[in-house]
Amino acid sequence: MALAATLDEGRLSVFILLGLAAMVTVGVSLLMGYAGQVSLGQAAFYAVGGYTAGLMSVHGLPPVLGLAAAPLVAALFAVVIGIPLLRLRGHHLAFATLATQLILLSLAGELEFLGGSIGLQGIPRFGAGPLELGGDRGYAFLTWAAVAVVVLVARNVIESRAGRGLRALATSEIAAESAGVAVGRAKLAVFALSAAFAGLAGGIYAFYVGYIAPGSFPVLLSIEYVVMAVVGGLGTIWGALAGATAIVLLVQLLNNIGTMEGMPSYAPSVLSYAVYSILLIAAVLFLPGGLVPAVRDRLAARGTKAA
Amino acid sequence: MSAFLSYLINGLAVGCGFALIGSGLVAVHRVTRVVNFAQGMFAVVAGLSAASFLNAGLPHGVAEVAAVAVAVGAGLLVGLLAIGRRGTDPLSALIITLGIGILAYAVEVMIWGDQPRSFPGLGGAFTLAGATVQKQYLLVIGVTAVTFTALGLFFGRTYAGKGLTACASNPYAAQVIGIDVRRMGLLAFGLGGALGGIAGVLVTPLQPISFDSEVTLIVNGFAAAVFGGLTRPGAALAGGLVLGVAEAMVAGYGKASYQIEVALGLMLAIMIWQAARTPALQEEAV
Repeated sequence: MALAATLDEGRLSVFILLGLAAMVTVGVSLLMGYAGQVSLGQAAFYAVGGYTAGLMSVHGLPPVLGLAAAPLVAALFAVVIGIPLLRLRGHHLAFATLATQLILLSLAGELEFLGGSIGLQGIPRFGAGPLELGGDRGYAFLTWAAVAVVVLVARNVIESRAGRGLRALATSEIAAESAGVAVGRAKLAVFALSAAFAGLAGGIYAFYVGYIAPGSFPVLLSIEYVVMAVVGGLGTIWGALAGATAIVLLVQLLNNIGTMEGMPSYAPSVLSYAVYSILLIAAVLFLPGGLVPAVRDRLAARGTKAA
Repeated sequence: MSAFLSYLINGLAVGCGFALIGSGLVAVHRVTRVVNFAQGMFAVVAGLSAASFLNAGLPHGVAEVAAVAVAVGAGLLVGLLAIGRRGTDPLSALIITLGIGILAYAVEVMIWGDQPRSFPGLGGAFTLAGATVQKQYLLVIGVTAVTFTALGLFFGRTYAGKGLTACASNPYAAQVIGIDVRRMGLLAFGLGGALGGIAGVLVTPLQPISFDSEVTLIVNGFAAAVFGGLTRPGAALAGGLVLGVAEAMVAGYGKASYQIEVALGLMLAIMIWQAARTPALQEEAV
């Protein structure tokens, strides 16, 4: 939050996008780490949130209402598709979520009232009553306030009784079920929660950019969230934040290098694809727990040695 | 009627591509339990390589075979990364192959650029019962038929093929009788590369291919493979053909842009139906 006030204008846009990515990643991390489910379609919920907020405010409803509706509609959508889809496990669910996103994007490109493939334009800036959020600084505050809410909610869920049930679920569904965890309902709840986080981020994104189209939510975006969650460490909130930060900053740095003079025009995209993939592969092979747990364990080991 | 026939042949040809990619997924999955997300990449790599080889002056036939060989090499590399390290569980391996798929984007854009490429296939067309049929469609269907026959003979008649089937049905027992399960896994990845590669060189003349065609290919291939529960190559063939024909009919009689909804909706329905019939207990035990 302090950074939102101190960073200079040029850096703020990266800071905002980082916050948005972090929100979605916390949800992915919960879903993968606690409910043991892989979603390759998380950007679909981001899109639902974005379109909800965008559509409502384009039609003249107050932006606050749009932003409040974004996570709700995303969660509702998750519940509706989750009831059949969550019967699937492992790679089946991974492909099913990917398929959902592809269907959604294709539909959004077809439907007139969503603007078709051209998308929704002229989404008003976010504001409440007479107040209107103008510059990037305001959006930075809004984004990171939302990140704080997301982290708080996620923490409370994990520490609650339901959270313990979820952890049991990740290890063995059958054991959890026999211990009295309502498996189906718990999975659906995490799915909906992660969708709500993504929807909230999507809503803010729509107001911030002022323009959304099916092309704003590619499949690669969903995969980015998985990379961030895996690199940071599944099932840890700080891991999700660390993973999102590490990757957004790294990609930004490489973008700067890639757009320097004398670099070929394809350099930025090649560099970012390479970063995502190499980090993902390296993390799965050599740091299965992820960044944050690995560092924590090392610190703990050093602590015991010193004592 | 003639329109129906041309949609049908078109759909069968496109479906053959899905079937080949799907059977590559099956070949890898039944032996290693890994769903190889990079399977679509093999087709892209082979299609793009074939275009380059042809540009470099290699004759037709040689260029395509060389391109399939490149895809086999890619398959072995993916296999090494995905299952080379002991104790990599299937879901981690899925995420690794996902990573390799994205890494391939970087390599492909560097070598071939980001624009779609194609090359001329078998030229010419003829009329069959009033419908115009391009010869390339028949070539695709014919090569696929030969490939699946060879695949059947390979699994049924050769030592390596039987070894693969043994690993598929019980890895532990296969190991006990002296089959190197890890090497069989690599062989399966190589086979997956070959099947994907064949799909790539066959389909590229029909529709230009670029680095990000991979997502559509893998999703359709997976949809085809799901018909047989990811374990039966023959069912993947049937699945691919059904899918291809259904998409062609929707595109022909309805609206082309709804193709993907039909294919994916079908896949989701089949998966959910299969999941409803398999109790959770059995799935976790495997």
